[in-house]
Amino acid sequence: MLSQILLNALALGASYALVALGFVVILNATGAVNFTHGDMVMAGGYVALAVSSATSLPGVAVLALVIVAMALVGFVFSGLAYFPLKSRPPVAIFISTIALGIIFQNSANALFSAEPRKGPPLFADGLITLGDISMPRQALAIIGVAALLILAQHLLLSRTSLGRKLRATAQDREMAAAIGLPVNAMIALTFAMGAALAGAAGMMLSNTFFVTPTDGSNYIVKAYIAVTIGGWGSLAGAVCGALLIALFEVLFPSLPLLIPSLKTLAPWLFTQTASAILLYLGLLAIMFFRPQGLFGETVQRRV
Amino acid sequence: MTIHRHLQARILGTALVASFACAQLAHAQTEVVFPVLVPITGFLSLEGTSQRNGAVLAIRNAPAGVKVVSEVTDTGVSPEGATTALERALSRGKVSAVAASMLGTQMLAMLPVALENKVPLTTVSGTAAITERNNPYVFRFFPGDAVAKAAHVRYAVEDLKKRRFALVYQTTAYGQSGRGHILEQLKKLGLTPVMEEALEPSVKDMSPVVGKVAAAQPDAILLHLHSAPTALFIKQVANARLGLPIIAGSAMHQPPTAALLEPADLKDVCAETNASPISGGTPEMEQFLRQYREQFKSEPDGFAVGQYDATMMVLTAAARGAKTADEIQKALAGTSYKGLAMTYKSDGRGNMAHSAVMICYDGISRTPKVVKRFE
Amino acid sequence: MSQTALAPTPGAALTAGIRPLLLLGVLCIAVWPALVSSAYELRIFTLVGIYALMALGYQFIFGHAGALSLTQGTFFGVGAYVTAILATKFGLGAHLTLPLAAAVPVLLAALIAAPVLRLESHYFALATLGIGQVMLLSAIAWEPFTGGSNGIAGIPGVVLFGTAIPKGMGIALFAWGAVACAALLSWRITRGLYGAALQVARENPIAALSLGIDTARLRFVCFLLSAAYAGLAGALFAHTIRVVSPETLEFPVMVATLTIAVVGGRTHIAGAILGAWLIINLPEWFRGLDKYYLIAYGSALLLTIIAAPYGLIGLLAKWRARWFPEAPPPPPPPLALPLRSSRATGDGAALLTVAGMVKSFGGVRAVDQVSLTVKLGEVVGLIGPNGSGKTTLINMITGIYRADAGRVTLGGVDITSAASHDIAASGIARTFQNINLVDEMTVLDNVAVARYRHAGGGFRSSFGGGLTDPAWHLARGHAMHLLAALGVDDCAQRPAGDLAYGLKRRVEIARALALEPRLLLLDEPAAGLNESEQADLAQRLRDFARAGLAILVIEHNMPFLMPLADRMVCLDHGCVIAAGTPAAIRANPQVIEAYLGTPEDAAA
Repeated sequence: MLSQILLNALALGASYALVALGFVVILNATGAVNFTHGDMVMAGGYVALAVSSATSLPGVAVLALVIVAMALVGFVFSGLAYFPLKSRPPVAIFISTIALGIIFQNSANALFSAEPRKGPPLFADGLITLGDISMPRQALAIIGVAALLILAQHLLLSRTSLGRKLRATAQDREMAAAIGLPVNAMIALTFAMGAALAGAAGMMLSNTFFVTPTDGSNYIVKAYIAVTIGGWGSLAGAVCGALLIALFEVLFPSLPLLIPSLKTLAPWLFTQTASAILLYLGLLAIMFFRPQGLFGETVQRRV
Repeated sequence: MTIHRHLQARILGTALVASFACAQLAHAQTEVVFPVLVPITGFLSLEGTSQRNGAVLAIRNAPAGVKVVSEVTDTGVSPEGATTALERALSRGKVSAVAASMLGTQMLAMLPVALENKVPLTTVSGTAAITERNNPYVFRFFPGDAVAKAAHVRYAVEDLKKRRFALVYQTTAYGQSGRGHILEQLKKLGLTPVMEEALEPSVKDMSPVVGKVAAAQPDAILLHLHSAPTALFIKQVANARLGLPIIAGSAMHQPPTAALLEPADLKDVCAETNASPISGGTPEMEQFLRQYREQFKSEPDGFAVGQYDATMMVLTAAARGAKTADEIQKALAGTSYKGLAMTYKSDGRGNMAHSAVMICYDGISRTPKVVKRFE
Repeated sequence: MSQTALAPTPGAALTAGIRPLLLLGVLCIAVWPALVSSAYELRIFTLVGIYALMALGYQFIFGHAGALSLTQGTFFGVGAYVTAILATKFGLGAHLTLPLAAAVPVLLAALIAAPVLRLESHYFALATLGIGQVMLLSAIAWEPFTGGSNGIAGIPGVVLFGTAIPKGMGIALFAWGAVACAALLSWRITRGLYGAALQVARENPIAALSLGIDTARLRFVCFLLSAAYAGLAGALFAHTIRVVSPETLEFPVMVATLTIAVVGGRTHIAGAILGAWLIINLPEWFRGLDKYYLIAYGSALLLTIIAAPYGLIGLLAKWRARWFPEAPPPPPPPLALPLRSSRATGDGAALLTVAGMVKSFGGVRAVDQVSLTVKLGEVVGLIGPNGSGKTTLINMITGIYRADAGRVTLGGVDITSAASHDIAASGIARTFQNINLVDEMTVLDNVAVARYRHAGGGFRSSFGGGLTDPAWHLARGHAMHLLAALGVDDCAQRPAGDLAYGLKRRVEIARALALEPRLLLLDEPAAGLNESEQADLAQRLRDFARAGLAILVIEHNMPFLMPLADRMVCLDHGCVIAAGTPAAIRANPQVIEAYLGTPEDAAA
């Protein structure tokens, strides 16, 4: 029972982690909170749907195409939402990303209609069973793809010279410009990466959890929470935060199944709704007692 | 003398022709202004689009002599979106009747405006409260929760012979209203659920709830979720191989819900609804199905049928001589109409639909069969 | 946008800045109800008013206090629910429900303020978002009280003391009446000294604290005000739509408010109204586009924010300045502010005593057992290589950092654990290494705002006066005097960011003097000044000391400091390594070693 629950949490956490990673990558490089990120996840799902219904390519090829297509979307997005406003107050970028989110959502509604749709699987639908535990193939695929992409991201940033340039731009834009790095290109590339990660997450999620035009807002809230728990600006933190959220969402309401006495003690506490409330209260507690999150630098208190 | 008689004949003839032509003209000039105010964007856009399609198809099939002026306006998700849309429609001239959003809270917001302006609202909202406000201008063409949930529960208890129920419902108005009536119906039969839990529409991973359902050892699951969550739940239950029959609410009958699942997942799944057009049945329903597929390139659901029937009832009333909103309201309140799904007649409070059907899936195809009718 | 000066004539007052456009706007709003021809237009008009009211409130916390709060929509929803429950379940009239609908969100705000307001920007945003979500989930779950997802219907219109205000036009006028009162209140609160204090607190909180402004309290007051406005807006909404459901607590309402504030203008009252008008009407104008209307709305919003990132009112003001430039208003006449010459040198007692100060960051001891004293009328120089702890010490004295150990007394009063702004008010003024002036404010206003505590600055005092704030008028007069004393009065009306470095330095000193301090702490005042400016500054400092001021100067510039200081203290690696007269310090081998390495290295 516990292992099944943990496996479920891992699959969910892997998807959240992909979403949070794309979100924090853009946040790091630009200091901008991208409110459209959740809608990019949704867009990835629809792109996957469109590609797989127009062609008969295998899932892996579709994933590759989705990543490329969403990277392009990310480039264009940065030109619309970020670059016109980059030396303006950051709150202006909130609004531009909010505006683009509205455009994304309603375009999806107009192009694909409002029905929930199921995206293509990466390999195949169906279950894999090992003794007591059964997992949908796609859930395992999600874990695999997420791990791969997170690893690839990490290697890119820490081992390649391009990665060094990206990190330099993220850490100190002025300094990076001063030493001759093509800062604008780096930022555009970062948006492309973030969008590509979101797109990959979207495709994987669209098979397990389906996709509708209004899915985005839920994902952005989860990403925001994950990044805050993990530490604002830390990539590892974002991934950990995402896993923690998923663990809490799956484990906490399941506690009465593991510890039967809890069922009679306080059944209202372990409902899905109560868990959601507790997640937020827990988040508030973290921000109050340890605002830098798990991996972030110590936060200077506001004076 | 002969000339006089010829002239008389000619005058009479002309007069006859003229009066006949006038009658025709008068007959052809019944204009119905029928705005369609439904959620096209946002959370209920799937259902709103069904409403719109049903209304638009009915307008296309308007009876002879009725000219319909109609505009589709999005109401979004908020109550103020609906009232704004309604007032906008009213500001553009005399409105005869309205196809109104099926979102309960939007309907509740529109009721006072309809009352002030004396314009009847036709809807397919199931939320109980809208006909409990003593408003003579609301007409619900979908079985209210009282009827629908009675069917839901009675089928599970009387036909499937189940007694231990796990109840999973949505935290939205649809879900909470449904749950209330399900509990009431169960109580009438002397039963309470062995387990119940509410789910937010945004919850994707339902494994904790599935686990709790399993642990409670029910012999059937009563489900009352929206479309995508219904599909998610059924899929996750199927993955967990619980082997329990599921009796779901109207969201299950919507074709997009079944489209998300494999036919095998749908074995032992039944649902309550007003009608299942894709199951066909009568020649009129088959024709409706054909026309709908041709015009909208998608499958119709019961909401589309309900709104179609509602619109046709309005247009039929107009064809029979109702010219003003007032007359249409009287026709809706006082007469009965045989539609595609059922025969509609007001119970005095605006509930027009009094029967529900149960549909079941056989595990082989995604098209369900109608297995029982509850009047 | 800086405060404009007292205009000498009514004509000039009317044409200053964008006032002609604003007056035109007010006229349009006043005339519009007579022109509307349908209930629909009236409904839109009412909704614009409601959102304008909410945005006006939001401008307090988001615009003036500069904190991205995401609870504004929640306060709105709470106000709506309070009204709904009280009006339907208890049948209370609007004369009771309206104040309660404003009061309950204020209570809620006060409750959550303490832990939440001291968080930095995005944490604050997320914390407020989290609270909003908790409220939303609770409203949905608490069915018996809130009606759950179905909400509460059948809310009556506004019934004041038994008389019902008619629907349609009645409620529209009532709502806009509320907007007018709210706008007036906002204007009163922010037009003078309090508004300037708010500006400094958000642009440069450390500077604000050093001027005696309690930034935390300002934020708190702004948060409560925003909650009150939002609650009232929610109440009006409930009476207009007659149904309250959890949608009023959902994020789209908050997003709309944020958009209105950013698009209209974060601190301009007119911005809230213009923004509301635009954001509510845009989707309506695009309705003809059928299902693409929201795509058009999103595109229009994007174009608007790109064209006017500081808000539309800011854009209008910029156009005004570009195409119809006007001469800056003349500065007010100076009002004498005598520098304290009492308590001149004589009794020899120390004014400032610092004893055994210790501060560690991580494992590093930045300040290690430092003690020193400064007497009235004395200039003490604090020297030491970079990283020796000089600025850290000053930050501890002024309360920016909490000391790990040690004691600070000022005039016999222990100020070790006092709050930074209280320390400033008790007589210590400081300048900063990087000149913490507010660039967007004029030189005059930068100095005038330092009179905040002396003017009895605070929320209540902002209500005083008529068209102008008398405390602000007084403060500016005093500021002129100080600017003249430092020879920078001709720059008074220029934005501080435009000035040359040397002049900025003098303005900063004038600002410090505006606090009427007993002790002046200067952090590298001679940096960036040329020789003649340095000589001028040294002379002025000498004069201040002669007049009785105690001065502590951190400097690296020995030619500047040596002739000026009466005594010097040298720090190295956080410890005092030497203290005495300048001559003694100059010859001290440890000092030389600290600065230059060993004597052998220096010779090499």
